Amino acid sequence: MKDILLEFKVNGQPKKVYVDPNDRLLDVLRDYLDIKSPKEGCGTGDCGLCTVTLDGKPVLSCLTFAFQARGKEVTTVEGLGNGKELSPMQQALRDAGAAQCGFCTPAMEIMVTDLLKRVDNPTDSQIKEQISGTLCRCTGYYPIVEAVKKIKEEER
Amino acid sequence: MSMEVEYLIEQLQKKAERGELLYIGESLNRVDDIEKILGKPIYTADILPKQTLYAKLVHSTIPHGYIRSINAANALNNSKVKAVLTYKDVPGINESSAVIPDRPLFADRKVRSTGDIVAAVLANDFRAATEASQDIKIEYDPLKPIFDPLEAMKEGAPLIHDAGNVAKHMKVYKGDVQKGFEASDIIVEGTYSTQFQDATPMEPELAYAVPKENGNILIVGSMQSPHITQSGVAKALNLPLSRVEVIQAVTGGAFGPKSDETPTDLGAIAAIGALKTGRPVFVNMTREDSMIMHTKRHPSITKLKTGATADGKLIASQAEMIMETGAYASLGVLVIVRAMFHANGAYEIPNVKNDGYLVYTNNTFAGSFRGFGAPQAFFASESQMDELAKKLNMDPLDLRLINMLRPGKRTSTNQLMDAACGLPECVEQVVAASNYRKKVKEYAEQKGNTRRGVGIAILHHGNALGPEGNDYVYVHLNVDRDGIVYLGTGLTEYGTGAISGLAQIASSIMGCKLDRFRIDRPNSLKHKESGPTVASRTTAIGGNGARDAAEKLRDRLNTVAAKLLDCMTSEVVIVDDIAYSSSAPQKRVGWNEIVDEAYRSGVSLNTIGYYMAPRCIWDEHTGLGSPYSQFTFGAAVADVEVDIDTGVYSVRSYYVAFDVGRAVNPRNVKGQLYGGTVQGLGYATMEELVHKDGRVLNPNLKDYYIPTSLDIPEEFVPIIVEKGGAIGPFGAKVVAEPPIVLPGPAVRNAILNATGWSVDSLPITAEKVWREGHK
Ligand code: FES
Ligand code: FES
Repeated sequence: MKDILLEFKVNGQPKKVYVDPNDRLLDVLRDYLDIKSPKEGCGTGDCGLCTVTLDGKPVLSCLTFAFQARGKEVTTVEGLGNGKELSPMQQALRDAGAAQCGFCTPAMEIMVTDLLKRVDNPTDSQIKEQISGTLCRCTGYYPIVEAVKKIKEEER
Repeated sequence: MSMEVEYLIEQLQKKAERGELLYIGESLNRVDDIEKILGKPIYTADILPKQTLYAKLVHSTIPHGYIRSINAANALNNSKVKAVLTYKDVPGINESSAVIPDRPLFADRKVRSTGDIVAAVLANDFRAATEASQDIKIEYDPLKPIFDPLEAMKEGAPLIHDAGNVAKHMKVYKGDVQKGFEASDIIVEGTYSTQFQDATPMEPELAYAVPKENGNILIVGSMQSPHITQSGVAKALNLPLSRVEVIQAVTGGAFGPKSDETPTDLGAIAAIGALKTGRPVFVNMTREDSMIMHTKRHPSITKLKTGATADGKLIASQAEMIMETGAYASLGVLVIVRAMFHANGAYEIPNVKNDGYLVYTNNTFAGSFRGFGAPQAFFASESQMDELAKKLNMDPLDLRLINMLRPGKRTSTNQLMDAACGLPECVEQVVAASNYRKKVKEYAEQKGNTRRGVGIAILHHGNALGPEGNDYVYVHLNVDRDGIVYLGTGLTEYGTGAISGLAQIASSIMGCKLDRFRIDRPNSLKHKESGPTVASRTTAIGGNGARDAAEKLRDRLNTVAAKLLDCMTSEVVIVDDIAYSSSAPQKRVGWNEIVDEAYRSGVSLNTIGYYMAPRCIWDEHTGLGSPYSQFTFGAAVADVEVDIDTGVYSVRSYYVAFDVGRAVNPRNVKGQLYGGTVQGLGYATMEELVHKDGRVLNPNLKDYYIPTSLDIPEEFVPIIVEKGGAIGPFGAKVVAEPPIVLPGPAVRNAILNATGWSVDSLPITAEKVWREGHK
């Protein structure tokens, strides 16, 4: 029964949707609001590919009930840049070959953005720690770590 | 001319002197990764049509038995449920099997594993379909199951398939192994075992089908080989191939299982549902569904015996490998072939006897997975080399240097190594980069509870399909009115960047910028069948198709440009979007002018390139001959730290050198060295899909561990060696698969070096290390 009114902001835009109490934030984003960058890699909280930020903090949208976003602000990769050109962070990922199949890439971007907000020049181990809950089966993580280090170098 | 063009021309000339083209060997960005990074809706589940029904697959709850009845009445009472499909709904042949026709699409009479699909529930949403799937009552008459391949091989064992429990026996017999052992001063024997590994592409298998108004069926899904899905679906639906349009959506990783039966299962079930209901049907797989129902890496038990002279020369090697394929043969009949061709390691050994058996059990089925039999084979052979070295009191590196393949040496099948054998260079470079000799000396002095150790492993890897099928490819190129180049092929991209590599090859030859290229979605009706996208064959084989197509277009472009430049066709140079005449380089025309002129004068800029690899000749009975046209070579050194009180260890550094012939795009090659190695480290150290009584105990990412960013070695040094091969474009060899092979033996040998303990079964857990040391 879709009888809960959910008012929240997604990527800066106010949204109003009726949701079922069982609906996950992931479903509301993907199925109701057509925001497809968060991916379902497990649905059980183990892969991290559904990560979005809720009021600035990364959360697993497959383990978050939609109604928990009430009155809050959600950010996904669609809200990170202008949607057409790559941001410097995204360009750094591209230049490092960090998106192979690309399925983990949106979640990695959310985690990397979160890290760079808090830490200016992250070390290898800070970067690895930050993305440790976000699985990637293609890259072995090295290109992602390399990319993140480049972003800061460029800004320096 | 502008500085930039001058510079490019200079580069071009330099490369031309080496017989190469402008963009070959450059780490250019991929042409198809921007959408992925922007998070665009491009994967299967992102692009579902409106009004789609969701299908949940129901798999068997018992590992072996007859189906007595299937009762879907309760499920159908649910108003959200639109249909329940079983074998009775299959309009054509109820079969979905890769090589041997041993596997039904929907289980009909008998189930042989808990991965067998019995029914599919179609409902308005996935939650409803999942809930209703609990209401399907299936009654079985259980049969005695069998989970141990050794038991399954015994006389009188219950039969899983009528033809017997051994699906394939593969032999490689060379020389006289008995005499070889008699002549040996030293013999070592061992048994090595490996586990079920799950490929775990981050996107599980998915597909949807749409009934078209003209009676065709459209299938979109996450897969490696759309033409294989097309023929499987056509067979199950009893439709001509021309009515089955299969499109590969952008695919979130694959690694093997997406080339086997699962994409056909999903495509066919979606299509049957779509035709039955008149609505699009999406077959969704949860992670758990995928891990239970798709193919895995075969577990193996290998008995290996090696004989050598007192000074370390190998004389004889005998391997007997039991490979468990679970309930169905899938691609295992070819996996065992590759395993046997590589079972004695990358060494010249005059006397060889290899017997490989592919054996059915009632566990879920195994099939293709990156490495294709090589990880099991090299774990045994490379582990045994270190045992032999220990007995000979010789450094494992020195033993390898004496025996390894070099130009002029012969493989187990008697195939002659030519100048393209870069194994010595790989070993030399990886030994230098890792400081192997120095570390061996240093680590020998260690006392205390924390011990470091280094281990080495080497390999050869027969390229592309070889004995596994006809190695041909078609590549379509079409330049549109705006000068954009569309590249299409039945081969697919699933993360390696290989299709972008084809564009890189084509752009180099055609002389236009790489960012003009767009990749067509592979489509079974639009693109010619090019064999499966497996065996890392896209660059080595597909690259030749791209080259052929690009050369055809290049000839036409040259003719048109000559007209515009008023020069001889042979004088035309086109580079980086600009054409000029070598005799009068001042005058230039741009890419779009050439394309315009071609269109105006009716010159077609649409063509298809083709390539077929030379046939590989070998004897079916002895396994001898030359099963592969070229080989990749590699060497790795692992440096580990072991706590000898607990067995807990970590891989501190990993060094690897691969002879990839020619790296068309070095960054993407390194991407494979990184990714393949880490997946191999998962296999070596932590991954194991566990079956108990035929049921998968850990079909989820909570209990099945794959490496996270915190599990990777702090230091990783990838080295590219380039000894051009015989068939790949510009000498390119395959690269995606081999890196997964070496971590198993390299880590095992490093732990042996650190502790003196031999762990002969994968994955090497801390517990196994501890047990080995406390026997
Ligand atoms: S889908 Fe949410 S953690 Fe995997
Ligand atoms: S790029 Fe494929 S999972 Fe990370």
